[in-house]
Amino acid sequence: MVAPEHVLSELADLWVSLGKQGQAEGGAGVLRACTLTLVVLAEASDDAAALGETMAALMPEHPARTIVVRLSGAGEPALSERVYAQCWMPFGQRRQICCEQIEITASDAALADLPSVVLPLAASDLPVIVWSRSARMFDLPPFGAIARMAGKVVVDSAAFADPKQALRRLAEMARSGISLGDLAWTRLTRWREMLARLFENRDYLAKLARISSVRVAHDGASATSAWYMGAWTVDALRDVGVGAQVVVEAGSGPAALSVELAGGGFRVALERREDRLVITVDDARNCTNLPQPGDYLLMREELGVVRRDGVFERALASAARLAYATD
Amino acid sequence: MGIENPFQDPLRFERQAPECAIVIFGANGDLTRRKLMPALYRLAYDRRLSAGFAAIGISRTPLSDDQFRDKMLESITQFSEGTAVDADVWAAFARGLYYVAGDIGDAGLYQRLGEKLAAVEGERHTGGNALFYLSTQPSQYAQAALGLGSAGLGKGGGWRRLVVEKPFGHDLASARELSGQLHEVFSESDVYRIDHYLGKETVQNILAFRFGNGIFEPLWNRRYVNHVQITAAESIGVEGRGAYYQEAGALSDMIQNHLLQVMATIAMEPVASFRAMSVRDEKSKLLRSMRGMTPEQVLRNSVAGQYGPARVGGQEIAGFRQEAGVDAQSPTDTYAAATFFVENWRWAGVPFYVRTGKRMPKRVTEIAVQFNPAPLHIFEGDGGESAPNLLIVRIQPEEGISLKFLSKRPGAGMTLRPVSMDFNYGSSFGERLPSAYETLLLDAIVGDATLYTRQDMVEASWSVVEPIQNVWRETKFDFPNYAAGTWGPAAADEMLARRGHAWRKP
Repeated sequence: MVAPEHVLSELADLWVSLGKQGQAEGGAGVLRACTLTLVVLAEASDDAAALGETMAALMPEHPARTIVVRLSGAGEPALSERVYAQCWMPFGQRRQICCEQIEITASDAALADLPSVVLPLAASDLPVIVWSRSARMFDLPPFGAIARMAGKVVVDSAAFADPKQALRRLAEMARSGISLGDLAWTRLTRWREMLARLFENRDYLAKLARISSVRVAHDGASATSAWYMGAWTVDALRDVGVGAQVVVEAGSGPAALSVELAGGGFRVALERREDRLVITVDDARNCTNLPQPGDYLLMREELGVVRRDGVFERALASAARLAYATD
Repeated sequence: MGIENPFQDPLRFERQAPECAIVIFGANGDLTRRKLMPALYRLAYDRRLSAGFAAIGISRTPLSDDQFRDKMLESITQFSEGTAVDADVWAAFARGLYYVAGDIGDAGLYQRLGEKLAAVEGERHTGGNALFYLSTQPSQYAQAALGLGSAGLGKGGGWRRLVVEKPFGHDLASARELSGQLHEVFSESDVYRIDHYLGKETVQNILAFRFGNGIFEPLWNRRYVNHVQITAAESIGVEGRGAYYQEAGALSDMIQNHLLQVMATIAMEPVASFRAMSVRDEKSKLLRSMRGMTPEQVLRNSVAGQYGPARVGGQEIAGFRQEAGVDAQSPTDTYAAATFFVENWRWAGVPFYVRTGKRMPKRVTEIAVQFNPAPLHIFEGDGGESAPNLLIVRIQPEEGISLKFLSKRPGAGMTLRPVSMDFNYGSSFGERLPSAYETLLLDAIVGDATLYTRQDMVEASWSVVEPIQNVWRETKFDFPNYAAGTWGPAAADEMLARRGHAWRKP
């Protein structure tokens, strides 16, 4: 069993011990930093070292009380915990900065108890963000209770077995008032930024009204990103009175994802080729660095968006409709 | 009216610079090498610059575009702190660098610049937008602006803006004259007077701190604030700038611009919106509310100082008059302190102590707001008066905010001791802080003048400083009056002691 009071008392002891240790070593003690509570739901099979590295990278920018819930799967009802600190010494300074981490292991049979354990462990008066790395968790009953206590829930629809169904579920959750983030959408930020930047050019902007078709191709693994991209592009065009047909399809070329806006003799295309984004405007071609963003970069962006993201919510609703319309 | 770009998403996208050409006068100078180019490169590295970005360097030394690129690569390699030179990013950035050789006083230079701008516009699609950056001797500002005007470069297919470095004149009359000359070519809204202090994250954070939180503003007035101290101390001397410095002095070099701007930020009234005009209107109003001193008040409320030789940390430090390029009898102030008062309902009677100096014990810039003590001291020996509540905004070197208050010491008895609650900008947010020049250059390209100084602000600060300047010019000071490595002349301590206050030792 895990008693939240006991965990909180362990955390208090941890700070006393860190403080003494910091002073004994001739340093200036430790500074506790916390701007949010981050609840990470991960399968026991999820690479612990990689997850640990991601958390360590996120902490300097988004210091948080982190609660990592490890889902141990079938078996007897079991919940266990341990607390520790993630510390770092900012360059050129004498004082360590530390964040609290709590790790809870829960079997499937004990998941029903999870919300009642997590809720009291959240840091007071600060946002709670849930990052569900487990696609399976999304379908388990306690997920709803955990999502409701969070200010924001981040998932990765690309990891779901049925992406179309995932989009529909996410759209329903958004409609019910839960603030969401989807890493399949976050992966598009650089693409969207590039497209936006292209149309900062007045000549291209003047040709925007000619666009009549939007075609998005994907490799299957990026299906949800493709629906998002198609939906967002068409919605944005509609905002300025440009009606365009959208087609989202599984492609056969080397690009994992590509998007083309065309019409009236004007063509803009963006496609990924390995770690490069190739941007084509009519006959002119430009190439920019676009490494696949890892979990750290994606979560870094999502943790930076703590208020409701109207652009995403609208794209999510449209993408869910689009996914079913393309059957 | 044309349509707007529908693809922008300000919540997620970084602020981007639109296509433009930056023309840097003084491209071989120290500022360009140490600050401007590293800042521009970093903006390119962070993908903040558009594909249609170009920089044209102007200086007297004959150089080809490629030679200029090589020199700039050296500068970026040497002076880009925390940014490695990435071969791909540099290659793309370097393609947008150009050079035009010429003398600022030569009309032919502007002819050639016009041709270069046209060629660059065709090549890089800069949209006719141009930002002229005067990184030259102040005496050349007007000449450069008028030269641009005569060649018709003050106007073009896109926007045209002018960035001017301080000093903006050497007194009120010369500041007005300079503005008048700049306005012959550029309207005031297109003149960006840069004060790099205002680009520092913590100075911007003062606005967030004051107007983004509800708990501080009710205390931000004469009822709760006892006094304010603003310190900008440098541990170094004039570092080879002796000849320039002895013409300027600490009062003109620091207080007239940086420190009065910082003071305006800390003391201004709340703004109705975070728009350039609103913010600058309030700062300007504050500066105009500052009481001008009579000659008698100048003698009581200001202190000039100059450092003398000393042995610091086992090293012999030369006095100012012994520095290279400095007159052996120089009357220049390397230290200046003043007590200012703001004549408005919020601040009437609250002293603002401002000091700056060279060769002080350490490099530190900070603002300390000292609050009134608790009205009743119920704890015996609580040290309430000797350990007042202080809010300290550290601008450099470690940007952050600290609140000092009294707390009970653990154990039996009621013994109080001061404790500090610290917010450290660099460690609470692990993100790399952009340099002041990155922030300000991007602002100028985007057309956001919030952090730039407007003409009326410059004139208001000169109106405050000029009476002090006038008295000091007529006074024969017994210089040097403080030893290198100390916190300034004794007279500065006496100035505060007269009001029952003492300088903090930051």
